[in-house]
Amino acid sequence: MAETIFPSTEWFEALARRMEDDEAAYRALGSTDCTMVVRVDVPDGPDLYEVVFEGFRARSVRRLARIEDAAPEHFVLTASLDTWREMIDNIRAHAGPDLEHTLNYLTFPDYPMRVTGPDQLEVDAFYRYNQTLQRFFTGAAAVPTAFAA
Amino acid sequence: MSKYTASVETGLDRMREMARGNYDLRWMNANPEGWGHTATPGPAGLRLRDVETGYYAHVPEHGSPHGSMAPRGCQVPADTPGLGMYTLNEMSEVWAENAALLYDEAVVRQWNSVTDVPWDKLRELPDDIERAVCQMCTGLTEVEFVAGDMPAKWLCRINHDFHEVKLFLASQIMDEARHLDVFRKRALANGGGLLMASPGQERLLAAILEAPDYTTASALMHIFGEGFVLTLFRQGEFLAPTEVEKEIFRLCMQDEARHVAYGVKHLKYFLERHPERAEQVHAILDLGEQAIFTLTLEPQTSEPRAILAGGGLANIEMGMARMAFIYEKQVGEYLRRLQIAGLDREPRLTIPKQIPFEELAA
Repeated sequence: MAETIFPSTEWFEALARRMEDDEAAYRALGSTDCTMVVRVDVPDGPDLYEVVFEGFRARSVRRLARIEDAAPEHFVLTASLDTWREMIDNIRAHAGPDLEHTLNYLTFPDYPMRVTGPDQLEVDAFYRYNQTLQRFFTGAAAVPTAFAA
Repeated sequence: MSKYTASVETGLDRMREMARGNYDLRWMNANPEGWGHTATPGPAGLRLRDVETGYYAHVPEHGSPHGSMAPRGCQVPADTPGLGMYTLNEMSEVWAENAALLYDEAVVRQWNSVTDVPWDKLRELPDDIERAVCQMCTGLTEVEFVAGDMPAKWLCRINHDFHEVKLFLASQIMDEARHLDVFRKRALANGGGLLMASPGQERLLAAILEAPDYTTASALMHIFGEGFVLTLFRQGEFLAPTEVEKEIFRLCMQDEARHVAYGVKHLKYFLERHPERAEQVHAILDLGEQAIFTLTLEPQTSEPRAILAGGGLANIEMGMARMAFIYEKQVGEYLRRLQIAGLDREPRLTIPKQIPFEELAA
């Protein structure tokens, strides 16, 4: 199976397809209405991807030129490429994150990953839909991934 | 003389008329303005906001004076008796723009402690770790249901026209029942048990239940108390020694964030209409801050978390230092939520913004 490059819209679209295929599991978790921006810090500057969740699906995925282009209501998950890589490798190695690679574990101390947003309620959306967001990234277990140099 | 009461006789008369084919049927055309309504489900199903449109979209600023449980939007016969129970009759006293959305979200994101937690993954833990987990669960079992008792205290006083709020609060009561239940289960499931209650928590719980009105109770509980607990749930997931606790804390975290979201939007709605009441909200938060500071530093609250953060009793000091940032995070998020609600609390804050643990240790 061909590898998909992280980060890229194709990679997030692959996760969105996994979400569609796994709809029954997402229905069990409940509907999700939020916009997540994934920020990957690379030497050339941040690489930004917006994923809009609606109901039980990821409605859209797009690359952003700048954070100002994101939907007004959103939260941002920021980490270095190395951190994202470690998380994704960990998910792929264990078919899910181990205790030290869940989204909450990585973001809680604000390092190595950070969750921010235009206001605190937007950040709180990350907590409100955490199970769904975790499952979304756990979908990476089935997405062979290569990493941008 | 009839052997039945007058009301039974009236009922029997009515049945005789129906038996003769004399039906009333006025109800069929009682509400022409409200008839012919349709709703289209969205991607997540049929939500309240999908049905509360057109004629049914209007929420009155003042709840109906008839004071009955007649549903908003129906035709209410003039002789409908009121219940005489509603004291919260102003929309601003209870409303939040997100109440309907949060209710729908709550009902589709329900979970249960019976089958949704992977209890089979519990494993024997070192004694100090099991004791720390059990103490943390004892504290959470103690504190969680205040967020069920508080809405329950006010629910039957809220005018029935504000059903979105009543439904949301009912969902919150169920959420809190689940939290009490799941933490108690965890404490009793793995060779440990319940440990020590917290007098500090009781003071905060009393302040919530004794708050003089709904909005101050909500500010103290939804924004302040549940906001602090939301961070504790995140911390619980972070410190969890097994997948069981991870799952429990993630599930509870989601519920708690909904409650906080309602509290913030309610206070915002209220203060936009009653800015003169800000001082009362400040006053109850003064009380809450004093109680939480005492509580945070109680040994039965702070020490188990430090043991988990350090990886065992032998490393409790390291754990205490590693977790010092939690308090600063709690206070920072609390201030930012109040800011959204329109309350600038920072100049009034009665507790430190951070605990300089290393300085104190020195």
